[in-house]
Amino acid sequence: MKAEYINSFYKATQDVLKTMLDIEVEKGKLDVVEGMINSKDANVSLGVTGDLKGSILFRFTKAMTLEMVKIMAGMEMDEIDVFVSSALGEVANIIGGNALTNLTAYEYVCDIAPPQVIVGDYKSLSFANEKALLVTMNTDIGEFDIIIYLTEN
Amino acid sequence: MMWKEKYRVGVDLIDDQHIELFSRLSKFIQVVQNEFNWDEKIEEVKETMVFMQEYVVIHFNDEEEYMEKIEYPKLKQHKQIHKDFKDSINDYVVIFQEEGYTEEKIQELCAKLMTWLIMHVGKMDQQIGEYVKLKEGQA
Repeated sequence: MKAEYINSFYKATQDVLKTMLDIEVEKGKLDVVEGMINSKDANVSLGVTGDLKGSILFRFTKAMTLEMVKIMAGMEMDEIDVFVSSALGEVANIIGGNALTNLTAYEYVCDIAPPQVIVGDYKSLSFANEKALLVTMNTDIGEFDIIIYLTEN
Repeated sequence: MMWKEKYRVGVDLIDDQHIELFSRLSKFIQVVQNEFNWDEKIEEVKETMVFMQEYVVIHFNDEEEYMEKIEYPKLKQHKQIHKDFKDSINDYVVIFQEEGYTEEKIQELCAKLMTWLIMHVGKMDQQIGEYVKLKEGQA
């Protein structure tokens, strides 16, 4: 997987979370994983089509999810209800949209499917022995993961 | 949902309307997310929906008129984004007419309004202010 894909998503995540939540995002450790596992409390997947094909999965803990929505809504959230999960899905969707704009600069034209939010379901998705990249992101309100699996069409 | 100084575009009419939108939406979220029974708050939800629908149109019209006045180069793109947003609200209005005001759909809409408004005012609308400053600098 090329650095262009990873940087496009990393930069979009950084920009969107800065604008929406006033938090700084730092790239943490990188890992190569086989398949995508919904191993945190709230998971959002985005399907990518076009010049690139694959999926992006964001994994957040419950605490971080609630904190993110609290920052936006200005009120305490105590459970991942429809409001919280929809807000998380929208944030991921906005990140995806910005990432596509960034990819255009590298001449990749892609489209993105509406986000799928999966709460508290520890299912794994495999890609027939293909490997995906796991990037841990660090912020002041906790860490979260982005798993990127993209291939060129 | 808090208004922040960094959202200020620098055009009083637009900023005042943004502040009103943030304030109303904030109250809407509080009503939707409070612990009262859904049946008890449904009337307030309906009233706020009507207000938001009307106020969003008024605001978009005023903002578009201002962008035309200053010959804003990204007017067409900005208008399209407003239109897409109005269309998505109207999709919900249709859902509410057909399925009633369910708590689930209202929560979903509330989340969309909140994230859209923060991102749109926080990024897209800021470019209007930047253009005005650039023009004033050249004058």
